[in-house]
Amino acid sequence: MGTEVVAAPPLSARPSAWRVVEYQLVAARRYWRSMVILGVITPLTYVLALGVGLGVVVDNNGRQLGVPYLVFVAPAFLTAAALQIAAADASFPLMAGFKWIRTFHGMVSTPLTPDQVCDGQLLWIAVRLIVNSSLYLAIMAAFGGTQRWWVLLAIPAATLTGMAFASMVAALAAVLENEGNGFNVLFRFVVTPMFLFSGTFYPISQLPDWGRWLAYVSPLWHGTELARGAGIGGLSAAAAIGHIAYLMVWLVSGVLLARWRFRVRLTK
Amino acid sequence: MSAPETAEVLARNSDEAAEALISAQGLTKRFADFTAVDGIDFDVRRGEAFGFLGPNGAGKSSTMRMIGCVAPVTAGTLRILGRDPATQGPAIRARLGVVPQQDTLDLELTVRENLYVYGRYFGMSRAALRPKVDELMDFAQLSERANAKVEPLSGGMKRRLTIARSLINDPEILLLDEPTTGLDPQARHVLWDRLYRLKQAGVTLVLTTHYMDEAEQLCDRLVVMDGGRIVAEGSPQELIAAHSTREVAELRFAPGANAAAAERLSAALTGDRERIEALPDRVLLYVADGERAVARSHEIDLFPLSSLVRRSTLEDVFLRLTGRSLVD
Repeated sequence: MGTEVVAAPPLSARPSAWRVVEYQLVAARRYWRSMVILGVITPLTYVLALGVGLGVVVDNNGRQLGVPYLVFVAPAFLTAAALQIAAADASFPLMAGFKWIRTFHGMVSTPLTPDQVCDGQLLWIAVRLIVNSSLYLAIMAAFGGTQRWWVLLAIPAATLTGMAFASMVAALAAVLENEGNGFNVLFRFVVTPMFLFSGTFYPISQLPDWGRWLAYVSPLWHGTELARGAGIGGLSAAAAIGHIAYLMVWLVSGVLLARWRFRVRLTK
Repeated sequence: MSAPETAEVLARNSDEAAEALISAQGLTKRFADFTAVDGIDFDVRRGEAFGFLGPNGAGKSSTMRMIGCVAPVTAGTLRILGRDPATQGPAIRARLGVVPQQDTLDLELTVRENLYVYGRYFGMSRAALRPKVDELMDFAQLSERANAKVEPLSGGMKRRLTIARSLINDPEILLLDEPTTGLDPQARHVLWDRLYRLKQAGVTLVLTTHYMDEAEQLCDRLVVMDGGRIVAEGSPQELIAAHSTREVAELRFAPGANAAAAERLSAALTGDRERIEALPDRVLLYVADGERAVARSHEIDLFPLSSLVRRSTLEDVFLRLTGRSLVD
């Protein structure tokens, strides 16, 4: 075959989920520019329109929040953006891997296992969230939305929040067989309301009881509390541990669920 | 266990199992309420080209997915390179090449990137992959498109890329599920040529097809599958000798007249292995001497609109064994 036969390269190591991340990095060479542009424009819009614009109105009515409105709201935006990106990346792109371009089926005919494919896709989303949250934070800082170095902890808080939710969406992506209409329901009736009822724009103490319970259940509220606590303080260690624990429960069950559904889907 | 060890053990195991790289006994695949593969036995020997021939739904693809260590076995035993896919799937898959029925290429990536990324799934190093990727693009006649996206490539080119990709780890066994379905005749011949070269290079080929010409071109040995079972086994020539006659006379009568003609012709047959098959559009006479059969039809005043004498093919074997044709 061919003119010269090159000997088989040695199989250097059992492949890991990071090989799937590497694939996504190769693929990202095509679209990293649009990723960065989106990653800059989104925070600019929110920080300017709501943080600075709405912030003037809020701040003129007396500083009941104790800090400028932008400082109060920006860590929450950062967390909400992480959750929305995570949900988007774990939905249709994963479904494409199963159904449309079928790349996942190609992966599991190599030594990679369905669990590794699942882990690799989730790791890739985590990488994206870290990059995107860092960008978000830089823009917040440029517009005076930060007050102290602790705010850096908003990046891991937002990433954890996004991953807690992304893992569940990934499990859903592995289950859906139709054209992905389930995701439209998810975005309209879960992701958007979560944004409005998770203490993003105002403390949830402003909400009636039922609204507060919505927030308690929502991973976004727990992530927002963590990120805001990092940005402006006033968060007790016990509360922080509680929020982290709640998000970890989501993340661990989500990953287990997603791995299981990947196995079922890819070994039919 | 580290990877080099795994490779050595596999190599040793496969030496011991030189007779059968793949061995299946009572192999069964059941889905909820449907048995796709119904207890089949077969062995694939090193260096041979082994085929599963059968219509769509015969259980070929399910069998291939079990051999590929992707779908679990429901019942029976399956050993690949002497190993059990249930416990050593990744180690076996490291030594297999897989060409699935539907391409799984990333259309957004270039030809080169597709090969590179796939090699990385096998744990191959970047340095080792570079010459390998070049060699495979050359083999697949895609070197000129190395840095082109896959999306706009023709079906035949994509298929060749899929085959090139399946060779990235220098597999001991290459599994091809319907390798040329959906390709135009010219693209099929280019692909057959590439597969034939692989066979000459000593790669063990296992393929499924519902094209009898493909099976005849490529397979040293094949099994005919129908309804999840193996209904016959042998080389193409053996199968034709065992299940058909040397020649076939195809007589085409006016629409609606074929059945009646078949009725009258059956009286004219002599040899005990000779028989008649009445299809909706023509009558097939399985005989030792086709020209004589056509002449006899004229003797009893049956004049077909057209007649053709040809040698028997696997298509006839399949028709004989199952009462149905391969391509519906």
